[in-house]
Amino acid sequence: MAEDLVLDTAIRDWVLIPLTVVMILIGVLRYFVSKLMRSQQNPDAKVVREGQVVIRARNLRAGANFIPAKSFRARRAYFSNEENGLLHVPKGQGQNPQAQMFSDPNMAMDMMKKNLSMIIPQTLTFAWVNFFFSGFVAAKIPFPLTQRFRSMLQNGIDLSTVDVSYVSSRSWYFLNLFGLRGLFSLILGEENAMDDTQRMMQMSGFGMDPTKNLSAEKDGLDIIQHEWALPKFEQRAEAALKKLIS
Amino acid sequence: MELGLSKNYSDCNLVEWTLYEQVAVAAMDCQSLDVAKDCVNVLQKKFPESKRVGRLEAMLLEAKGSWGEAEKAYSSLLEDNPFDQVVHKRRVALVKAQGNLSGAIDLLNKYLETFMADHDAWRELAEIYISLQMYKQAAFCYEELILSQPTVPLYHLAYADVLYTLGGIENLLTAKKYYSITIDLTGGKNTRALFGICLCTSAITQLSKGRNKEDKDSPDLQSLASAALEKEYKRRASDKLSALTLAFKTLKVSS
Repeated sequence: MAEDLVLDTAIRDWVLIPLTVVMILIGVLRYFVSKLMRSQQNPDAKVVREGQVVIRARNLRAGANFIPAKSFRARRAYFSNEENGLLHVPKGQGQNPQAQMFSDPNMAMDMMKKNLSMIIPQTLTFAWVNFFFSGFVAAKIPFPLTQRFRSMLQNGIDLSTVDVSYVSSRSWYFLNLFGLRGLFSLILGEENAMDDTQRMMQMSGFGMDPTKNLSAEKDGLDIIQHEWALPKFEQRAEAALKKLIS
Repeated sequence: MELGLSKNYSDCNLVEWTLYEQVAVAAMDCQSLDVAKDCVNVLQKKFPESKRVGRLEAMLLEAKGSWGEAEKAYSSLLEDNPFDQVVHKRRVALVKAQGNLSGAIDLLNKYLETFMADHDAWRELAEIYISLQMYKQAAFCYEELILSQPTVPLYHLAYADVLYTLGGIENLLTAKKYYSITIDLTGGKNTRALFGICLCTSAITQLSKGRNKEDKDSPDLQSLASAALEKEYKRRASDKLSALTLAFKTLKVSS
């Protein structure tokens, strides 16, 4: 039956194209709004320092064999001794990020702003699409698809007899929501385009504990065997010179 | 100069302003303060609130030699953003320019306490220490540099120099090893490292003469180094060859 389900051109003119245009405009608008709301946040001194400590400790781990054993031992003690080593995290001091968030109102505020700029336009457009365009078949994909795509492409139409290649308006909205990233990166410049999927990932990655990094680095440093690489370089230098002279 | 800039680049704004900044800094470097001032003024008109322009203004003050005002400007910039690494380094440069080397060391140490992965700062600190003949501290800085970039031969070379200067049999042996790694990394092209090998070997033999310790594990290396030096001198500066052989003779080094 679905073979010739003719779509009115008015649907294209009044549903498909407006929906896309509105989605793009909202994306651009949201970019500018979030740019306005973004507050210049100063990094915490402790966080900066910890990051640098980790880098330096990593360098020490990587290049340990290039410095004399005495220097290495001194550095290792400096980093990982139990009293005041830089990498040593006293027990109970590792605050969890949740607590940190509540103790620092700025952080919570920032999260809120990010959340608001993401959620409010999304709910509004979703409500708008639902209200005006629910139940429309908005487009047809020029190739056949299997049944599994029904939930993706025909959200909002509860007819199992319609061919899967027809796209409902609500599904078109979702496709736009997740698929416009490439377009935004064209309009707003590469790094400015932040789509929602990425943002969601960022949110979930938020709960990282920086102190874990420190103690992991400390463990790595503790198990290193220092083996001075320099003595064998004398032979290598000899070989290089022999090659040069001959 | 400036007119040319704005004409050529008026269509691509971003590049234009960056260019103004770069030209300003370059002009300060070669003491053409008028050009620098023009550039900074243009930027100031365009971005009145910018910290980056504020930094340039402070640098202009510094270039003029009005230390006090520059210092004031830098401190106020740091109050706004205590993590501006460039401003921190400018302050060190400012103190150093006034000839206050120990003050520069204090500032650098304070800076490195927070930004301890900044190898340029370590390098600067090492050089200041060397100029004050504080070799042990300089050696520490060079170790740090070697750790952060183990493949740069210059750091190994400088470390070896410091160790050689410190003296003592142990340091000399270590210095020789670091000269060797420099030779290995440069493929024997570094003349200073070759000389370093010769000097180290002769100093070691002098020191260990009485003890008769078999530390001379590679007398080969030294003769190879001097041979390489001789070859290089023959090729590049044959008129100085006699000076080289004389130097070898005084070092009691065979070639």
